[in-house]
Amino acid sequence: MQDILDVISSRKSIRRYLPDPVPDEMIDKILEAARWAPTGENYQPWRFIVIKDQETRNKIGDLSKIGSGKRMTAWYCMGTMQKRFEKIQDPEKRAEVLRFMYSGEVSEFCKQAPVIIAVIGDLKIGSVDVPYDLCAATENILLEAHSLGLGACWVHGPVAATRDAIKFKEILGIPTGMNEYKVICYIAIGWPKEKRKHPRPKYPLEDLVYWEKFGNKERP
Amino acid sequence: MDRTAYFNDLMARTEELFYHELSDCAAWKTEFIGVDFIQAQDIQGETPAEVIEDCIGKIAAAGLIEEASYSIGGENILLYLKVKGCLHISKEAKLMKSGIKPYNCPIINMILDQLIEKLNFETTYVADLEVDTDAGMCTIKSAIFETPEKIGNVCDWSDECRLIDENNTWKTISC
Repeated sequence: MQDILDVISSRKSIRRYLPDPVPDEMIDKILEAARWAPTGENYQPWRFIVIKDQETRNKIGDLSKIGSGKRMTAWYCMGTMQKRFEKIQDPEKRAEVLRFMYSGEVSEFCKQAPVIIAVIGDLKIGSVDVPYDLCAATENILLEAHSLGLGACWVHGPVAATRDAIKFKEILGIPTGMNEYKVICYIAIGWPKEKRKHPRPKYPLEDLVYWEKFGNKERP
Repeated sequence: MDRTAYFNDLMARTEELFYHELSDCAAWKTEFIGVDFIQAQDIQGETPAEVIEDCIGKIAAAGLIEEASYSIGGENILLYLKVKGCLHISKEAKLMKSGIKPYNCPIINMILDQLIEKLNFETTYVADLEVDTDAGMCTIKSAIFETPEKIGNVCDWSDECRLIDENNTWKTISC
């Protein structure tokens, strides 16, 4: 069996896309990958909404811009955003990056993605595992898209706040009752416009792994 | 039996568990906590000041707080609020004791809800909640956005808050 680690370790979040459409066969493969994610008791609580319509994508993009922008405006005003980007030496570049963040433009990119897949969970089916099952399906979507040469980005922020999640549901006609469907995220997918650089550096395993007991870094 | 302490214990346990599930994102999920009370109060007002003052007046009249002072600054985006004698402060104390920074203030949730419901504000965000259990005082900084265009209007809130304190531009409402 082929080692999937190459696919996993070469994936990165892609937020800039070419306008070229994503073929339906590829969308089907991506959905098929999602369907095969692990799921507690085989409940399969996930439901997927595939969105190509530009008007709908614009609405989701606007909601995302407002969702990120409100938080980042506040974080900037509180002084916490600046600390996050203090490693950028050039003051003009730093200011532009910060403006891009607190304006919310950073989260508007789904308007340019030819396809968005909303990942929602039916809370009346296997409610114990809904968020976890949906995250597993989301990861499968990202990996399959990447393996097909597409770029994708997992977007959670715009649906994280309760009021925003309700607005998101309203855009897509999802029942808004708190007992019905949970929106876990959406995934923007398209042909990468940005150059596929190597993913950002990761912490070394020795910083992350304990052996046998919490805190024990000595491999037995 | 102290019913307030009992209900605050229930809330503290719930918020502790909720934080354990969602860490800092828990705060993003709790914006409706408290809105049932304020939505039943028929809050009136044509301006943010009028709505905020009516909210505080009705919250204080119901005995949920002793008093609250507010000021709006920072390009009209900062709502700076100080709440004294809140019924829920023992909930916050309990959370702090378990090492969790308080993140869910029903009082600010009520006020922000009414800015959205009555004045059609686009969105709001609770940026900071500081609880001083010794003084019985909570200080809350929220971002309030009347329109989408207000997002991205930034300034230094530490300066804004200092000026509000120095110039004493607080408006205090009590029962």
